[in-house]
Amino acid sequence: MRGKTFTAFAVMILVSLLLTQCTPTAAPPAAPTQAPAVAAAPTQAPIATTAPAAQKRVLRITFSWPDRIDPAVGNDYAGSTSLANLYDTLIFPNAKGGVDPWLAESWDVSQDGLTYTFHLRQGVKFHDGSLLKASDVVYSYDRLKAIGEGFAYLVTAGVEGVKAVDDATVEFKLSNATALFLPSLVRLYVASEALIRQNTKAEGPYGTDGDFGKEWLQTHDAGTGPYMVREFPLEQYLLMDKNTDWWGEFHPNAPDEVRFIGTTEAVTIRSLMQNKELEISDQWQSFEAYQALEKLDGVKIAPLQSLSSFYYMINNKKPPTDDVHCRRAIDYAFDYDAAVGLEWPGTRQMVGPVPAALAGHDPNVFTFKRDLDKAKAELALCKYANDIANYPIKVQWVAEVPDEEKWALLFQANMAEVGLKAEITKAPWLSLVENTSKLETSPSIATIYVSSDLPEAGLMLKQRYHSSTTGTWQQVEWLQDPQLDAAIDDALATLDDQERFAKYAKIQAELVDRAVSLWIYDQVEKHAYRTCVDWPAARGETSAIMGYQEYAAHIGVDCQ
Amino acid sequence: MSLLNFLVRRIIYSVFVLLGLSIVIFLIARVMPGDPARMAVGARAPQWVVDRLREQMHLNQPLVVQYGYWLSDAVRGDFGLSLITQRPVTTDIKEFLPASLELVFFSGLLSAVGGIGLGIVSARYKDTWIDNVVRVFSYFGIVTPSFVFAILFILLFGFTLNWLPIIGRVHEQTAVPPLVTGAITVDALLAGQFGTFFDALRHLLLPAISLAMGSIAQEARITRSSMADNLSKDYIASARALGIPERVVMGRFLLKPSLIPTVSILGLDIASTLSVAFLVELIFNWPGLARYGMNAMLHKDLNAISAVILVLGAAFVTVNIIVDIIVAQLDPRIRLSATRSA
Repeated sequence: MRGKTFTAFAVMILVSLLLTQCTPTAAPPAAPTQAPAVAAAPTQAPIATTAPAAQKRVLRITFSWPDRIDPAVGNDYAGSTSLANLYDTLIFPNAKGGVDPWLAESWDVSQDGLTYTFHLRQGVKFHDGSLLKASDVVYSYDRLKAIGEGFAYLVTAGVEGVKAVDDATVEFKLSNATALFLPSLVRLYVASEALIRQNTKAEGPYGTDGDFGKEWLQTHDAGTGPYMVREFPLEQYLLMDKNTDWWGEFHPNAPDEVRFIGTTEAVTIRSLMQNKELEISDQWQSFEAYQALEKLDGVKIAPLQSLSSFYYMINNKKPPTDDVHCRRAIDYAFDYDAAVGLEWPGTRQMVGPVPAALAGHDPNVFTFKRDLDKAKAELALCKYANDIANYPIKVQWVAEVPDEEKWALLFQANMAEVGLKAEITKAPWLSLVENTSKLETSPSIATIYVSSDLPEAGLMLKQRYHSSTTGTWQQVEWLQDPQLDAAIDDALATLDDQERFAKYAKIQAELVDRAVSLWIYDQVEKHAYRTCVDWPAARGETSAIMGYQEYAAHIGVDCQ
Repeated sequence: MSLLNFLVRRIIYSVFVLLGLSIVIFLIARVMPGDPARMAVGARAPQWVVDRLREQMHLNQPLVVQYGYWLSDAVRGDFGLSLITQRPVTTDIKEFLPASLELVFFSGLLSAVGGIGLGIVSARYKDTWIDNVVRVFSYFGIVTPSFVFAILFILLFGFTLNWLPIIGRVHEQTAVPPLVTGAITVDALLAGQFGTFFDALRHLLLPAISLAMGSIAQEARITRSSMADNLSKDYIASARALGIPERVVMGRFLLKPSLIPTVSILGLDIASTLSVAFLVELIFNWPGLARYGMNAMLHKDLNAISAVILVLGAAFVTVNIIVDIIVAQLDPRIRLSATRSA
């Protein structure tokens, strides 16, 4: 009996190994057309229905999971990228920081800046074959506002109402003029009202709208975008097919199939790249992992422009950092060159309180450089100078980002040189979020990366320094300054670019003068990619807004 | 009759164990830092959205009331909505549990065959170089975490040799059979798709072996020492003196009683594999329950955490019962004792 078991097991292993080089059962050929049912088909049981990969151009990218593809829910990296590929928006962000016409061919703005009228492109089809109408835009907006998640905070701010003037015209009324409104529309993903209503569960937290189609939209799409969901086994991957009925222009070598894979494991990424089973990596690999990937044949590292920066958020309400001189001492004592040197080549020190890639960033604002004499001089002016040993600076770094320890140790060593004692501790992200929600539990310094959802300095100023964000992880400074709030609100309400940017510059100068934070570096978003991929983002030819760098319709794949 | 009594008694005990487990995990999940509602809707969602979700999840109620809501739904098979996937937790478990069970089953199979096999070889060639090699292998297997094996295997079989797939459950162009059980190997056989079956098997190999390595090593040591102990017993000497062939002595008289501790430990190993597989599932992008549970904890997905722990607890209890039955069958003394006490 035992012998039989061994034999059976050995045969099984042998057969499996023999089959390692064999081609698995291929899925049947593709359906002749993009049937409307494809988008609506259930994806619970992933059933491949397309031709073998040899005939196809395939783009595979890894992401940090989960991936949320409901247009009223998704807002992280994977979600933003999926949504950009599955849905179209009224406007499209360009590489210069502006916006181009997209589903809206043109738009008019009223004299007072409170009414925007968009004229829609005709003949645009949803993935189920139905035609786009203005009412779909209104429904998408209303749904986003009612659910309140995802990018709702961005799109619905200051909007009084939206209405369909006719099938081809949609009008947005604002309660107050704001420079953020137009760019925010890159986050209003237009979905089919009919398709969502067909798939809405009657029971749900949204009254007569039931669950607003939320459960269905977790694994399906209802968009007009260049790609459409074929299957989405959660926790594994999102597989999308090219929408051949798309109205826009594809790259001549645009992929027929796009697969977003939910893994960031370094050894897996490296093996997939080596085996030519992955075209673009995620951005979460360690410095050493990128170095290893770069050594693989036919693989390069693309340092992409990003709207994210690395901040040491200094608590302005707790001793000793409630004294501006102590904060300046910290800013002068820190070794920025060494900190930048710990990052990927091409990384630069932050200039002022917002990333340099944002429109309205002031490149001429004063920038702290390491100067120990000035640091000591400022420390002498601090009201805690005589008793500074009793006021340790408590620094918390995010445990899930092990690389942060390097900067924390550097900070500790730098501060010791001027007589400041830094106590560094790592905290799990959830604990840090919890700690920063109350002033009493907030550390003296929290080390956090913050990304802007739009390429506009005003938005970053608002999310980092406005009182509305105190008590969140985005602002551990606890500024709570009504004058500063008013200045930020006033700048955002200024529609003239030049005038608005001048106001931003004034705010940036004031924040630097008050040394409210330690501004370390603008993050370079690193991805490994195969050189057989023609990737505009690697050449700096796409918008830096999260989600648009992996816009598959504009990526060429010519890989064997 | 005695077996039935035994089963009924164990099942009743198990209900109390699971009830206790549910209370503990319910409380632990709620004292973890962070507001689950805020985490679910994102840092930038307005407060009213958070408040609505808190209301929906009864998070503003006292813990006792919350537990009452949860328990009354859970006994009806409704574990609430997952904050990560935004769909019923029951749906998630139905999707992810089969993948985990498939992985654990193959891992358990490898553990049983490999561990017992090596143990027998080691005992048969006790104190020879073969025994020493198995001993070194066992120590290495026991002290090395499964995720290290996973990485080593990926580097060897995926990166260097490129023999075996390192990600997912089937090749991306493989036709997946209609899901009946959720275990692709089984469903492929049911659908007569043998190519898919072998492809799924190839995908299972590395994660299953990674998970099984520690268990193989442990079973090998236990089997070996148990057999070595029994080898010096009088009944073995008698059997040999009677001229019974060595193969029969080893297989029939020595192995069976020696397997009792091995089976007990193997059962626990298999059950614990279900819960400790998250790193291996993560590395191989395996959509299993352990990985789902880990993500649930990282995102403070209360309903998912409670449900996953409960399912794992139920699996543990079930495996324990099965192990007790097998052990009783292997050892007549235990069986007779159970009969007498019944």
